[in-house]
Amino acid sequence: MTLLFRRADEMRLLVWVAALVATGSVAVAAAEATSFDRRQLLIPVVFVALAVALHAFLAIRRVRGDQLLLPLASALTAIGLVLMQRLQPDDTPLLAQQLTWMIVACGAFAATMLIPRDLTTIGRFKWMWALLGVALLVSPLLPVIGREINGARIWVGLGRFNFAPWEAVKILMVVFFAAYLEEYREVIARPRRIGPIPVPPVPYLLPMLAMWAIAMAIVVFEKDLGAALLFLGIFLAMLYLATGEAFYSLIGIALVALGGYVLYQTFGHVQVRVDTWLDPFHEEMRFGAGYQIIQGLFALGNGGLFGAGLGNGMPHRIPIVWSDFVFDAFAEEAGLAGAIALLALYLVFVYRGMLIAIKAPTPFLQLLAAGLSFIIAFQTLVIVGGNLRLIPLTGVTLPFVAYGGSSLVTNWMLVALLIRVSDITARVRGTP
Amino acid sequence: MSPRGIGANIRGLTLVIALAFLVTSFGAGYWTLVAAEELGSDPFNPRLVAAIRDRPRGAIVDSAGGVLAESVKSGNGYVRRYRDRTLAHVVGYASFKYGTAGIEAAYSDSLVGQDPADPLASWRARYLGERDAPGAVVLGIDPKVQAAAAGALAATGRRGAIVALDPRTGTILASASLPNFDPNQIVDPATEDVAWQQVNGNADRPLIDRARSGLYPPGSTFKIVTGAAALESGVDPDAKVRVDDPWQADPSWGPYHVRSASRAHGDFTMSDAFRLSENIYFAKVGLQIGGQRLGEYAQRFGIGAAPRCDISAAKGQLSGTGALDRPTLIADTAYGQGELLASPLQMALVAAAIGRGGVMPTPHYATEVRDAAGNTIRTIAPGAAGQVIRPDTAARVTQMLVAAVSGPGAFAFGAKIQGVNVAGKTGTAENPQGSPHGWFVGFAPAEAPVVAVAVIIENAGQGGVDAAPLGGRVMQAALGR
Repeated sequence: MTLLFRRADEMRLLVWVAALVATGSVAVAAAEATSFDRRQLLIPVVFVALAVALHAFLAIRRVRGDQLLLPLASALTAIGLVLMQRLQPDDTPLLAQQLTWMIVACGAFAATMLIPRDLTTIGRFKWMWALLGVALLVSPLLPVIGREINGARIWVGLGRFNFAPWEAVKILMVVFFAAYLEEYREVIARPRRIGPIPVPPVPYLLPMLAMWAIAMAIVVFEKDLGAALLFLGIFLAMLYLATGEAFYSLIGIALVALGGYVLYQTFGHVQVRVDTWLDPFHEEMRFGAGYQIIQGLFALGNGGLFGAGLGNGMPHRIPIVWSDFVFDAFAEEAGLAGAIALLALYLVFVYRGMLIAIKAPTPFLQLLAAGLSFIIAFQTLVIVGGNLRLIPLTGVTLPFVAYGGSSLVTNWMLVALLIRVSDITARVRGTP
Repeated sequence: MSPRGIGANIRGLTLVIALAFLVTSFGAGYWTLVAAEELGSDPFNPRLVAAIRDRPRGAIVDSAGGVLAESVKSGNGYVRRYRDRTLAHVVGYASFKYGTAGIEAAYSDSLVGQDPADPLASWRARYLGERDAPGAVVLGIDPKVQAAAAGALAATGRRGAIVALDPRTGTILASASLPNFDPNQIVDPATEDVAWQQVNGNADRPLIDRARSGLYPPGSTFKIVTGAAALESGVDPDAKVRVDDPWQADPSWGPYHVRSASRAHGDFTMSDAFRLSENIYFAKVGLQIGGQRLGEYAQRFGIGAAPRCDISAAKGQLSGTGALDRPTLIADTAYGQGELLASPLQMALVAAAIGRGGVMPTPHYATEVRDAAGNTIRTIAPGAAGQVIRPDTAARVTQMLVAAVSGPGAFAFGAKIQGVNVAGKTGTAENPQGSPHGWFVGFAPAEAPVVAVAVIIENAGQGGVDAAPLGGRVMQAALGR
């Protein structure tokens, strides 16, 4: 019986997740269908079975890592599944697809827990990860396999399936930077100064400039602002984490602003995004570029404090609501209370991740865990900020919740990595 | 020196992230709570319109109880039906796809049983899903006057607009604008896309309500404003002013001259100048009182500001810069050209204010909102906008406007009604689009008006002379004669 209590907190929290997915699923089914379809029951059952399986897997493997991350990620995924059930158009079974992807994600999670046996060794192959990352990034530009969807050429297609390689690249990038910065942070963190401005040693500056160039190249050639922004964010955040030199970040932000201005002047798709953000209600935007964001705002406005209730909103008026605008759809039906609760789930997730990072025994593991947590925070802030018209809209996914297989799979791998870091800490420190 | 511990940096970054989440939460609060009201009443918000399909939407009726718009059950839901194409601009449309316009937009809440005067109903609908059966919005549109206005306008075969209102209350009695459109086509899912393309792609812009959103140079109808300003600035209306066509104040105007419509040479009183629409007289008077004084009176009469109205109306302009700062601009403005722009509704309000002893009414289309049982939930009766000129000034201008219709050789003779004193003024607005637009504004009976009217006929052959009879017919209908 000890197996049951080995990860008792995790199990207790998963009961709440099960309640969440069950009530959500039933509420949507009740609001939409006139007659009850028994197959609807399958969704919460399959999902809860998967979550419990992951829990059992960790318990059996005697993993001593963090017990909050699995329930948190499960809760977010559960909200995502309920929303897919709610938002799927008649002709596309989003829910079934997302649930299938969840099964793949569970496999990826388990694999990441097992391979490699010693997590600290992955840092040694940093240049390999960098190369793999660049290869993945370039792959959508290749003929045959590269695909362009909704104006962004960030997809690789295999048969009926499409992957967004940048989702995997974000993790590779954190691994690479964690390893690179662990090695060189002493040098980079002690720059020569010209006045208050730090000038890092030139050879170490080159990879940074390369990063900047790669991000810009993505915007130009793959027309995806979201991924570029995320990579730049990861880069600047990790540089700060390793060096504590806020000036690096400021210079980086200035470069981003400069690059952004130049791109705005030269590229139509960047200009449209910014103009749409500034004045979506403009006469010429209303039924054009601004339509999506306006419909999103209408959805928010209908949300009020406690929302219209699941199934009572009109999220379908937002084009491709299930990928870019799930937050607005959720806020319409769950209200401000639900929206803040959702944001709180993310914040707690990030907080746990950062706590794991602080406690981690080596700089590499610290940077790795903090970088991974930062990904979740940054993606959430960028897409929710875009949905709320706080910043221009960019197409990053809302982690765990938005529709998308590559996103779900990589984010669950990210969870596994964080649990592994905390597991190592627990073993090194000898705490339970 | 070893760099600051990574742990400290992580704490710093986490703090920044937490702050960003806080800001994001405020953003969510802004849209869901603070801006919710505004978003909810946006004419393009499909949520209120959604009620069209699932539930009947309230009726829109005219002052005689005639139904102008109603929801009819058909197949798998409700369809909106509009009965009077000539009121397409006023009644508007409620399209699931293209949003709402006109009364359908302005009284959207009321038409789904959530009138703002009944907050409890809105609350119950929102949180309990209990929706009151919708009532009706009653318009002040008088079907007889409307028919007269629409008929008179259609007979011209030209683009234009006619608007009539009751100077005592500001209630709009009739409003017609050509070209118009069939709102039934815009709300019918089978025809909506084609119809929307057609009305939007049409160079004549049929979606624009020329009566309240069409902006034209007011031409000589603006002389009413100049005359009132002059009277209140100490100009003696009986003093003779020399008119010699063409005229300029001094040689610095170069080749520019003010022209008289009748190529006049003679001495004019203000009454003569109104009757014969003498540009040079008003140009001289305008320069005499000065641009600031003239601009001030134009503003008092609402030129350059949108009238407060239950359906939004366009604001015109006094001049490009908003000021009258050049002698030629002052002269041109004084007789209604220059850079002036005004809507027919605005000019009808000017006439109404003169007729009502200097009190400018607040225009409104709807008069009351009723619930499903027919009880009045809310009466729409906005008070007057204010006293814009002195009563004695208004009386004096009225006198001259009566002469402008019935005096010897009066330009506005076409507006005469047997047995009633009609006050009125024609206008011929030069415009860059082609031959001049014809204007008429007026009110009747002159002693205690019950109707004020503005007529514009775009590119009319003979300008104001063509427009005056139309105004006469509409006023006649309003007087029940």
